[in-house]
Amino acid sequence: MESLLVLALSIRNFRNLAQADFRPSPRFNVFSGDNGQGKTNVLEALYAVLSSKSFRTSKVADLMPHTEPGGVAEVVSVRAKVREGDMTREQRFAVDQGTRSVRIDDKRPRSLLAYATASPVVVFHPGELSLSTGPSAERRKLLDRVALFVAPTGISELEAYTRAQRSRQKTLEARGIDATDVDHWETLVIQHGLALMEARAAAAERIVSRALVAFESIFTTPLGCEISYVPGAPREAEAFRAELRKNRALDLRRGTARIGPHRDDLALSLKGAAARTSASQGQHRALVLALKAAEIAVIGEARGARPVLLLDDVSSELDRARTEALFSFLRATEGQVFLTTTRPELIATEGAERADFQLRQGVISPLS
Amino acid sequence: MSPKLRRVLQLFARLPGVGEKTAHRYVLHLLTTDPSVAEELGRAVSELHHVFQPCSVCNNLAEVGETPILCDICKDHKRDPSVLCVVAKVSDLLALERPGTLRGRYFVLGGLLSPLEGVGPEALPVPRLVERVRQGGVREVIIATPPSVDGEATALFLRRELGDLGVSITRIASGIPHGGDLEFIDPVTLGRALDGRKVI
Ligand SMILES: Nc1ncnc2c1ncn2[C@@H]1O[C@H](COP(=O)(O)OP(=O)(O)OP(=O)(O)O)[C@@H](O)[C@H]1O
Ligand SMILES: [Mg+2]
Ligand SMILES: [Zn+2]
Repeated sequence: MESLLVLALSIRNFRNLAQADFRPSPRFNVFSGDNGQGKTNVLEALYAVLSSKSFRTSKVADLMPHTEPGGVAEVVSVRAKVREGDMTREQRFAVDQGTRSVRIDDKRPRSLLAYATASPVVVFHPGELSLSTGPSAERRKLLDRVALFVAPTGISELEAYTRAQRSRQKTLEARGIDATDVDHWETLVIQHGLALMEARAAAAERIVSRALVAFESIFTTPLGCEISYVPGAPREAEAFRAELRKNRALDLRRGTARIGPHRDDLALSLKGAAARTSASQGQHRALVLALKAAEIAVIGEARGARPVLLLDDVSSELDRARTEALFSFLRATEGQVFLTTTRPELIATEGAERADFQLRQGVISPLS
Repeated sequence: MSPKLRRVLQLFARLPGVGEKTAHRYVLHLLTTDPSVAEELGRAVSELHHVFQPCSVCNNLAEVGETPILCDICKDHKRDPSVLCVVAKVSDLLALERPGTLRGRYFVLGGLLSPLEGVGPEALPVPRLVERVRQGGVREVIIATPPSVDGEATALFLRRELGDLGVSITRIASGIPHGGDLEFIDPVTLGRALDGRKVI
């Protein structure tokens, strides 16, 4: 499989990074520096130019550099020269006056979805420990990121589903549980919800087989790990409709719909017990690592190009054994890796090609 | 900058698709060419609302003249009164007129069902539409609301409201733009085009 390669990166006015231009190594790129210097900001800028989004915030305005009162807002811009096989392209992400724009070779992409799948990227950051320990939202996001590549048509219905679902709720409030227009919104909730669940089920199926293998390779003793997609609503139209109808009064009282793919989950269990409430710290970390390894593998297979990996300060969250497992995985999977750390000496790249960069107050300088 | 000039720029920039830069270009152009261009534009713009009003039959834009106010389409006797096409806005009507294949008449709703924006069924002129169909002469109602969530909900709503009036109700297919190369069509559109396929 070809690896996607970032050949050059140029960042302007991205959070505390005023100006940074560099040519990364095709293998390991290590960004080190003290806390609060801008290491994560570099990964966030890379993620933004490759995916059109941030992994830290849903508000693009957060990316604009803070200004003095009365100061002029600068244009946030990240350019990446990307190579895939023997093709190179330039991607650009910008935020101007709070509005995001993306371009590939100076052209507007057909859709954000088309932009987001052009250059696959996977980020692993400390917050993702909640994939195993936290509520279902993070796990749905994992399903959605993978579905973007394995079932793009279905996942593109997420927005429509969400709108239909909220419209039904508003209609219940405004017109009561017997209004005929509730029927229409439910028809649309079902139509888009079924497509969405189908996409997530397809993503889950691919993730599960990969994650189980990865998990087994981290723990040699069998732990009876099971991972399964739990849809938030019946996956058959008539049953879905009957449940929605039955729940109208309840949903009106509670202010949200009790069933629907907004309640989807990827259930993780060890020896039959829910991992969230019963796994040990080490088991949680291993589960997360296995899920991320699966995300990387499945996206790579589906897209036909190895994704760029961004690892934010992961060794601080993983114990020694898990960090070693991660690095042996990284050495085995080829491809370009960007990682941040406060302790570069702990990054065991073992002879692989590697470039080191130092961050200080938003300024990047190569270390040689 | 003079407050007067800034005001004109702001007015231009309020138009859809016109940003600050374009507003500057328009205003500079008007200031540097024959003054009669600006004067004529100003007169035409200030008359707009007096000259045009919604058609009393279909809500399309109509030139004010004799009463009742009728648009060109409603006045045109060659138009087939048995086909009635329901659209959300006047700009959709104009888009549907462009291919020139639809020789029927229209009904402009003026909006879509959209509870998130506070638009419920009571805000749409559906009773007028029902009345028009009930009066007879309509054989087919084409629902041409957009393929968005609100557009689909409105279509479902209209289908129910018009359901037992004995007319055939159809929905436009959402598909591939004419001349589109399959390879460059976004997957959503392509998926819909496949779902909506017909036997030929
Ligand atoms: N919009 C912004 N404008 C200017 N500076 C910002 C903005 N957002 C964050 N920062 C600054 O960026 C710095 C944080 O950068 P970042 O999160 O990349 O740190 P880091 O090097 O990853 O630190 P750690 O090792 O603690 O994770 C902070 O000093 C913060 O004040
Ligand atoms: Mg950080
Ligand atoms: Zn008319």
